[in-house]
Order: sequence, then structure tokens, then C-alpha cells
Amino acid sequence: METNELQNIWKNIDAEINLKSKDDLNLLFIAKTKRTINKFLYVISVSIFVCVGLIVFLIITALNRKTDVFYQINNLTLCLVAIIALISSLHEWYKMQNNRYNQPLKSWLEERINSLSKELTGRFSKLYLFLIPILYVLITLSIHVYFENKSFIEVLKTEESVVGLIVGAPIGLFVSYFAAKKIRKYYLKNLEYLKELHGLLCNVS
Amino acid sequence: MKEEFIEILTNYQGILHKVNLIYFRNKSDREDNFQEIVYQLWKSFPNLQNKNSIGSWIYAVSINTSISKLKKESRIEYRDTLHESLYTIDTFEEIASNENFRLLLQAIYNLNKIDKSIMLLYLDEISYDEIAEILGISKSNVGVRINRAKEILKQSLNHLNHGN
Repeated sequence: METNELQNIWKNIDAEINLKSKDDLNLLFIAKTKRTINKFLYVISVSIFVCVGLIVFLIITALNRKTDVFYQINNLTLCLVAIIALISSLHEWYKMQNNRYNQPLKSWLEERINSLSKELTGRFSKLYLFLIPILYVLITLSIHVYFENKSFIEVLKTEESVVGLIVGAPIGLFVSYFAAKKIRKYYLKNLEYLKELHGLLCNVS
Repeated sequence: MKEEFIEILTNYQGILHKVNLIYFRNKSDREDNFQEIVYQLWKSFPNLQNKNSIGSWIYAVSINTSISKLKKESRIEYRDTLHESLYTIDTFEEIASNENFRLLLQAIYNLNKIDKSIMLLYLDEISYDEIAEILGISKSNVGVRINRAKEILKQSLNHLNHGN
């Protein structure tokens, strides 16, 4: 079969495709935009609700324990981490949504490969691995100390707290390690896929 | 701005359908991807400066979005290989009238993801310069890749013809 013959066969598709009317396209466009905006609002709302809830709890409990310096430091640390986590997660989500598809395929692939490589090997790539167990311990301590009606140091000295820390910290570490590994595996899979496509596009030998 | 966008979409929607057709065999995947392409086009519409290259812009966004969707949903790859016959029926129900076209599309499905888009652009009679711009590769690279994809396509068509 000659190549111009292939092009002629391909031209038939224009007659065969069921094109959508202007009204249908308009409806489809409105529905898709609305759905995406709703998804965005949902994610933002949940993130803000969780972080603001945590911050309010930390402030109220810290105000009720004005004399306990260690408790204040514990809650202040958690507060700062919660604010940074909220800002960075929203920023990451925005970046994810702001994928620039309107560029040549090669540039688009290179941009995605660079961004994923940074995620996997960047300075903060292993941060969550340490942050999650630390936060887990600090939040547990904040709640536990508050409801024990004792000072931070007193609670830490009890056998119950020591056992809780010994058991809780490894659990937190395990959970964070498992989650980080899963995310890393997902990123690696995507990275391999993109590199394979980039190879296919650039390899002319 | 929205009216202008819908007008462009109405006139150029054939590109979206064709890109969908070469990448997705399942009708509902094509419908999902069509919506996703429309959304990505709308997002990048304010950055469209050269109104003379609307076609190239639509091809680029459609190809990049489709490839990204294939990455996100690897189940589609699974379907492609394991349940080919089932989803082939779905693809061809809309375009069943032309046997040659069915064979050509079947042969295109056998190409890799990059060659599929190169072949689509070639079959749509897009110039080598524009293909180079859409894919971000050199014009000479485009020529080499088209010749290679054509050879694979012809072999595949011969194979399918003898199979029938």
C-alpha cells in the first residue's frame, strides 16, 4: 500500500467521526470546568480544615498551660510545622494542576522528568520520612499531657509515657517509611515511563 | 473569551477525536480524555499568542494530555494487551463502514506511543516544520521517524491483510 493511499484512507475519518454540536461542547466545557473547580475547592477545604483545626487546638491548649514552658515549645513547634505543611501542600497541589501542556512534546517530557527527578533526589525528598514520626510523637504528647493535668516533664517521667514513646515512635517511623516508599515507587514508575517516551522521541538511530 | 474558545473548539474538534482514536480503544476513555483535553486547552488558551498556529497548539495539547492520561491510568495499557478483542469492538462500532480504515487503525495501534502521534500528524498532512514544532524535535529527525513509522505501518498492514 502506497503512503498517499494511507493518507487517502485516513481522510475518511473526517466523514465518519460524530462531531459534537456547539451546544454540546459548551455544556461539556462548563461541566468539566465546574467539576475540576469543585475538586480543587474540596482538597483546599479539607487541608485548611485539618490544619486550622490542629492550630486552634494547639493554641487553646497552650493558653491553658501558660506556665509549662516545654508544653508551649511543643505546641509552637507543631503549630509552625502545621502552617508550613499547609502552605507547601497547597503549593505542590497548585504545581501539579499547573502542568503546562501547551508546549512541544519533547520540552513537556523534559520538564516533567526534571520535576520528578527533583522530587526523588532533591534536598527535601526524605524529609517526610523523619517528619511524620516526629509529628506523631509531638501531637500524641500534646494531647496526652493536656488531658493528664500534669506538667510536660512530669508526664514524660511516668512509665506509661516512656512505654508509649518506645512503642509509638517505631510505629510512626514504620508508617512514614511505608508511605514514603509507596510514593517513591509511584514517582519512579512515572519517571521511567517519561524517560522511555523521551528516549523513543530522541533516539533516531 | 469563552465564546471565542468554543468557536475554535467547534472548528478544530476533529483533531481531538483523531488523537483520542489512536490512543484509546475504549469509548468511555475517549470521552474522559476528550473532556480533559478541552480543559487543558482552556487553561492554556490565554497563552495562545499566534492565532495562525491554532492547529499546532491543539495537536500539542491533545498529544501531551493523552500521553499523560495513559501514564496515570496504566490499566489502559493492560486492556490494550490482554483484552484487545473486547475493546476493538467498542472502537470500531462508530467507524465500521470502511474496511481499509479499520485495518489502518489496527496497524496504528501496533505502533509505539510516539510513533502513533508522528503517524497521525503525517496522515493529517501536517508539514514537517509543524510536526517538528509540535514534537520539539528537528525537521531531519521528523523525516527519519516518519519513514521508519511508515515502514512499520506497512509491514503491519501486510501482516493484517494476510491474516484476513
